[in-house]
Amino acid sequence: MGDHNNMKILLITTMISSYPGANTVGQAHLHYSPGTYIIRVPDPVVFPESFYMRCYEKGIDGIIIMSSGSDCPYEGAYRRLSERVARVYVQMKENGIDPSRLKLTTICTVCKAAFLKEINEMQKNILQARADKEGVAA
Amino acid sequence: MEEEKNTQSEENESEEIRVGVYVCHCGGNISDVVDTKAVVEALKKNPNVKIAKDFVFMCSDPGQKLIIDDIIENNINRIVVSACSPTLHETTFRKALTRAGLNPYLYEHVNIREQDSWVHKGENEAATAKAIRLTAAGVEKIARQDPLEPIVVNAEGHVVVIGGGVAGMRAALALIKRGLGVTLIEKGDRLGGRALELDRVYPTEEKASDIVSQLENAVRAEKIDVRLNCEIELIEGFVGNFDVQIRGKDSKIDKVRAGAIVLATGFDHYQPYEGEFGYGKSPIVVTLPEFNKLIADMPQSDKFTYKGKDIKNLAFIHCVGSRQMEGVHQPQADGRVNDYCSRVCCTATLHTINKTLDKFPNLNIFDLYKDIRTYGHGHEDYYEKASKRGVTFFRYTDDSIPEYAPSSNGSGATLTMKDVLTWNEEVSIPADMIVLATGMVPRDISNLVGMLKLPTGTDRFLQEVHPKLRPVELANNGIMIAGTCQGPMDITESCAAAGASAAKVSILLSKKTIEMDPYVARVDEAKCDGCKLCLAECEYKGALFMAESYAHVNPALCVGCGACVAVCPPRAINIAGWTLDQFDGMIDAISMEELEPATVPA
Repeated sequence: MGDHNNMKILLITTMISSYPGANTVGQAHLHYSPGTYIIRVPDPVVFPESFYMRCYEKGIDGIIIMSSGSDCPYEGAYRRLSERVARVYVQMKENGIDPSRLKLTTICTVCKAAFLKEINEMQKNILQARADKEGVAA
Repeated sequence: MEEEKNTQSEENESEEIRVGVYVCHCGGNISDVVDTKAVVEALKKNPNVKIAKDFVFMCSDPGQKLIIDDIIENNINRIVVSACSPTLHETTFRKALTRAGLNPYLYEHVNIREQDSWVHKGENEAATAKAIRLTAAGVEKIARQDPLEPIVVNAEGHVVVIGGGVAGMRAALALIKRGLGVTLIEKGDRLGGRALELDRVYPTEEKASDIVSQLENAVRAEKIDVRLNCEIELIEGFVGNFDVQIRGKDSKIDKVRAGAIVLATGFDHYQPYEGEFGYGKSPIVVTLPEFNKLIADMPQSDKFTYKGKDIKNLAFIHCVGSRQMEGVHQPQADGRVNDYCSRVCCTATLHTINKTLDKFPNLNIFDLYKDIRTYGHGHEDYYEKASKRGVTFFRYTDDSIPEYAPSSNGSGATLTMKDVLTWNEEVSIPADMIVLATGMVPRDISNLVGMLKLPTGTDRFLQEVHPKLRPVELANNGIMIAGTCQGPMDITESCAAAGASAAKVSILLSKKTIEMDPYVARVDEAKCDGCKLCLAECEYKGALFMAESYAHVNPALCVGCGACVAVCPPRAINIAGWTLDQFDGMIDAISMEELEPATVPA
């Protein structure tokens, strides 16, 4: 648990879908790492590539974008978001940031298991990325 | 990487930021895990925070009074409450700010219960550190917040309902009974829609024609403005003020002004392609709607005769055109398969089977299904009844879809499949006639979808904002959906959806003006260099446009998605209340180390 608490994971949630989903996890009193920080937005499409890069620069270890996926109520927003995330991956590689530290996923209001799974997987990815950087196996 | 300067806007630049922070114990729900006093002490170090307090129940009257008193007596001009989820009490505290004379949008609600204390039990120190960072992030966000005002537009007390089926008529009646004017537009030459095709309907066994007549009589009695043989030519405007152009049979255009629109455009039946289970090649293969029409007026008899031939063995096949799988089924015109469940066809099929046996008790009926999904109250009874009446059920999988083979003399057919119910035994079922339980597909309303930029789901039906939280609203303000334009549903469900849509519209148009949340795009004209990059991102016609060399937003048309924000290099365009500078401030707070609990006095 100690390693997990030493990491900061940013969860970008949508007000209509994954933010209530995170509340559902809370209402079920399910446990996850306290190193996770949830922010809510109308839609993650609002963030430019530079926002993500700045997060990493500031010390955020991993970012999970919990979008509404193809159920997004805003016309064309999910397509734009996925295209932007693809461009962020390119910038991450160029800046030596492991792309596994960014994940675009879909979480709804009742996706408790998926919510926890994404956090667990991101924790593993961050540990692996740290180990790779230090040249040792995770 | 360049650092953007995080400053409040010019609007509040001259004002001293005086944030009050209030941390709720929630009667122990939070304070049993989070050290609320440590959060208060940590936040007191923030230069923007003038007052920080903790209290047992912030949502209680004494809790709200703490805030109101501090606003009035200590000139606090921004409020952060760290407590439960904002979905529970954000409105409560905004109202408290209003009572204290402060703009209600100068408020930030931080969730340290559902997303902290309840999920980090036993990790009190880490949960407290998280609460400090989250609260600090709330302070950073609200420090960059300008006062906002709700968007107010005039509201026309009239509604256009598009589609004169059961859902459209029910919506129209509910609306007119709430005092709103209604224009009901139907492209056919009479009201009733798909219900006109039906005989008796489950679960009441009423005649569909009686239901339609009752509704139509009520519509006429209420003197609803009904337009038959009409189609939508153009819709312009925005919530409260839609201009609807209606084209009549004579091509004459009439205009109606409406405050809101209800879409009740209905569905189409799935049409099997030629050769699908023999459909179109053999006259003995028909769809369920065709079969229902065929037997509707047939009298009870010992014999069922179709096209001059005695039918002894009748087979039904479920899920034709529904729950399709890529690589297994032929794709639709857009290249996609119908992978959704059409929901109503299982009950509709079993209802028809029982009705058929009522008329022709000597028939052998075979029912070939993938799953039986009789989801509604009392629907399972049709399955039970059919089982007891000797219907033989076979269950197939996508690996073994029934194979149709016409008999050599062309008068019948054999269906071959592996039956799951008999441990995958291969069975050959003789059929004198085959009924395909076809599902619902979205009606082609591409003119409306394109005109209004309506969201559609992967199933191509219109897509609500949220299936549970906002089930009859589209993201487009002022446009509601009723019935099967949203997805497969039966008449009962369509009527419920119509009632819900009418209720939503009634609330929206209950006053002469509509107040909307101000969370839409806003342009800082001083920063906008007129590059027009934002225009290409906006999907909503008229929401964003250029004038006087900079971008302008029509707040009534903007849905606040933020697609335009991400492409603006100088950050001239932002969603009010959710600016990129605010998010940067939040990230700074989440990232910082100096507010660790260890640094907080005991």
